[in-house]
Amino acid sequence: MSQESVQTNKQPAILEVEDLNLYYGAAQALKNVSLSMLRNHVTAFIGPSGCGKSTLLRCLNRMNDLIDSVRIEGSIKLDNQEITGNATDVISLRRRVGMVFQQPNPFPKSIYENIVYGLRIAGVNDKATLDETVERSLKGAAIWNEVKDRLHESALGLSGGQAQRICIARAIANAPDVLLMDEPASALDPLSTLKIEELIDELKEKYSIVIVTHNMQQAARVSDSTAFFYLGELIEMGNTKKIFTNPEKKQTEDYITGRFG
Amino acid sequence: MAPNIVDKSLRNDRIAAWLIKSGGLFVIVVVIGILLLIGQVALPLFYSPKAEQLEKIPSELAELLESDNSAKIQSRKQGENGKITVQLLPGDRISVHQQLVEQDLLGNEKASEKKYLLEDKLPGAITALWLGRRGQSLYAGTDNGWLIRWDLAEEGEGRLIEKVEAFKDHRKITALATLLGDYSLAVGDSTGQVTSWMPVKTPGTGEDKRLAQIHRLPGFTEPVVHLLASPRDKSLAVFNADGDIRIVHLTTERLLLELKSGMPVKSSAFGDNGRKLLVSGADGKMVAWNLDIPHPEVSLSTLFGKVWYEGYNKPEYVWQSSAATDDFEAKISLVPLIFGTFKATLFAMLFAVPVALLAAIYTSQFMAPALKGRIKPAVEIMAAVPSVVVGFLAGLWLAPLMDKHLMALFLSFIFVPLMLLIAILAWRPFAEKTKVGRGMIGYEFFGLLPIVALSFWLAGQVAIPLEAVLFAGDLKQWLYSSLGIRYDQRNSIVIAISLGFAVIPIIFTIAEDALSNVPRNLSAASLALGASRWQTAWRVVLPSALPGVFSAIMIGFGRAVGETMIVLMATGNTPIMSWSFLNGLRSLSANIAVEIPEAPFNGTLYRTLFLSAVLLFLLTFVINTAAELLRQRFRKKYGRY
Repeated sequence: MSQESVQTNKQPAILEVEDLNLYYGAAQALKNVSLSMLRNHVTAFIGPSGCGKSTLLRCLNRMNDLIDSVRIEGSIKLDNQEITGNATDVISLRRRVGMVFQQPNPFPKSIYENIVYGLRIAGVNDKATLDETVERSLKGAAIWNEVKDRLHESALGLSGGQAQRICIARAIANAPDVLLMDEPASALDPLSTLKIEELIDELKEKYSIVIVTHNMQQAARVSDSTAFFYLGELIEMGNTKKIFTNPEKKQTEDYITGRFG
Repeated sequence: MAPNIVDKSLRNDRIAAWLIKSGGLFVIVVVIGILLLIGQVALPLFYSPKAEQLEKIPSELAELLESDNSAKIQSRKQGENGKITVQLLPGDRISVHQQLVEQDLLGNEKASEKKYLLEDKLPGAITALWLGRRGQSLYAGTDNGWLIRWDLAEEGEGRLIEKVEAFKDHRKITALATLLGDYSLAVGDSTGQVTSWMPVKTPGTGEDKRLAQIHRLPGFTEPVVHLLASPRDKSLAVFNADGDIRIVHLTTERLLLELKSGMPVKSSAFGDNGRKLLVSGADGKMVAWNLDIPHPEVSLSTLFGKVWYEGYNKPEYVWQSSAATDDFEAKISLVPLIFGTFKATLFAMLFAVPVALLAAIYTSQFMAPALKGRIKPAVEIMAAVPSVVVGFLAGLWLAPLMDKHLMALFLSFIFVPLMLLIAILAWRPFAEKTKVGRGMIGYEFFGLLPIVALSFWLAGQVAIPLEAVLFAGDLKQWLYSSLGIRYDQRNSIVIAISLGFAVIPIIFTIAEDALSNVPRNLSAASLALGASRWQTAWRVVLPSALPGVFSAIMIGFGRAVGETMIVLMATGNTPIMSWSFLNGLRSLSANIAVEIPEAPFNGTLYRTLFLSAVLLFLLTFVINTAAELLRQRFRKKYGRY
């Protein structure tokens, strides 16, 4: 199934998940999930609530480590490097795999300090580098013109859509390979959502993007390939156009056409 | 039905709003009421004195005039049963006549007499003479501004102690009198100035004390003709030739009262233990006043300024409200107490804030949730320990223990952090990377507890030989003899620990709540950007929770300022002003607790203690208000948690 779409594309996979099983205590949240995500592609995870799509996303930058009772089996490879297990340097992994969350969550600092946070914690304090990064990241997140005159004001004063783009700028300031987005537009108004979607389209030039969304139209609009999850299992993965027009599985079709979910 | 429900809920809203408003108003009114109540007791300290002329002069008052004693012949009782009389003879010679009546065991009286002349060469003509009340010292002032002092304490012999050029402009000294207590000498001169002098040690004069000008009291513009000391306190009546009288106070340098007798005064006396003043003119006409001077020793300068007290070698801030004798100069400077309050608070906060805050950060950000659920209530129980128990333990257990193991305590300040650092560095390769290391996440401090215990034990073991080698076996003795540092058993380390113990749970609980309230998605964002857990806690969570953390510290601060029982029992209550952490202190609150049972109702001390209560009240009020304003600013700047 999904392997076909990988082969039809000539691009190499950046993330490869193989036989992933994930348990919260006794409950199994992901069952034998295997899929690949391609370089400079937008991959969308869709599925009803509780299907495990966000859990899988959080495996990709090891955010599940924060949860006490999580146990992971299987393999995830970033650029052919294993990222599960104790030997992985989680900090450098997270610098390579950035993340944007559902709720815009700017730090209670100035816009400037928000963007350079990733550099500062890595010990970069050179003013020229920081300035350059701020401009590049804000331009990359298409918000430079809106905030360039108030870089040193608190980021808490921004609107939801602006704050979310600041969060995207903050994530790309680290120059990651992969950008994970966990329902990045679900807390935003339609206009802001549109801007975020346009932005995703621009960002895939430079970054590989994995996006979790509840919004079927959004998945259809922004993604190149789509994976449908149900009850912890990967039901179907493939080219977005194909999934939305001609899914192989009945469950996928039911979900997409709104018969359940 | 529906409109009914709406009406009902609207009504309930109104009732609730009204209840809350009136409750808040009630609290405000009560707080202001308390302030007014204690302020009203303290306020009479600052009432101005009053005098009322008597219509009729009682005969027992009139008799007092005869005892007036400022002429050329003065006599005093000397010792138990002696009498001394001095007389100024022409040519500035002074004859001294000592009489001594001795009783042997059988009750036979034996009188002896000694007579001698003081014929020292003087720099000018004597214009004022004063024999001290105990007959021990004789003072003379000259027409060209010199003061001369003799010691008459020896039997049959008068010794000239010093001649002091009191006034460089060689004005005439016109009146002398020692104040109550016979220590300070008041000097009136031809320019109308009144000054007070007492023997002080000045550098370069060796052991001898020399007369020095201490206070300058409000006088006249015309010459002073007479001085009369009050038998009640350190007050003094100053007379000029027209019969104007000014009653002034030595310590405060205040002009208490201005009276006009309307005639040249020939003789004068205080009666009724200083509550009445009687003067008579040349024609025998008498005028008397009832004096109402309740608190002459209180002024802003004595409460808050440096004052040169009798017996001191320089002006100082001193609190010493009572002494063995009645003629003692009350020292009511509140400065040492305010200092003590701040010192206790500061040392306690220095100990408590790092401990409580780091504990709160660890508990909220790093500790396993299951454990956190047990630690928090345990710390909250700490807050429930009555402060008298904490004070009792600090004073009677901790202080002696520290006294015994001072060296070990100092060493553990080095050992504990050092050993912890070593342990952590040694652990680093294992943490996160190994299965055991990952298993320890959230439970790390269990591993550190034995290290801390070991450090204390090691400090104790090293301390004894080290003290023997470096400090000849006694660190405290060495500190005193080599560095001049005095060690008190009840010192500021004991206070820091015990008061800190009371403050830690407050700061911890509030700060931990604030830190835990920082949304998970903020720390998640930080972690997702590649920050370590410590970086996240320090750079994102703590700044976001700053308003809450700040109010935690300020509430702890307020508690420490007002805490009474612990400071009372653990500080030694010595009102000294020294920043040394090896000395004790006395705080405002403990001072009230210590002295109010002994303060005479509505007396100066009683009211001064109420004044210090007002001060304490205002202090906490100002601190809390400032803290709240700052917190509001922080909230705007940093976040809402």
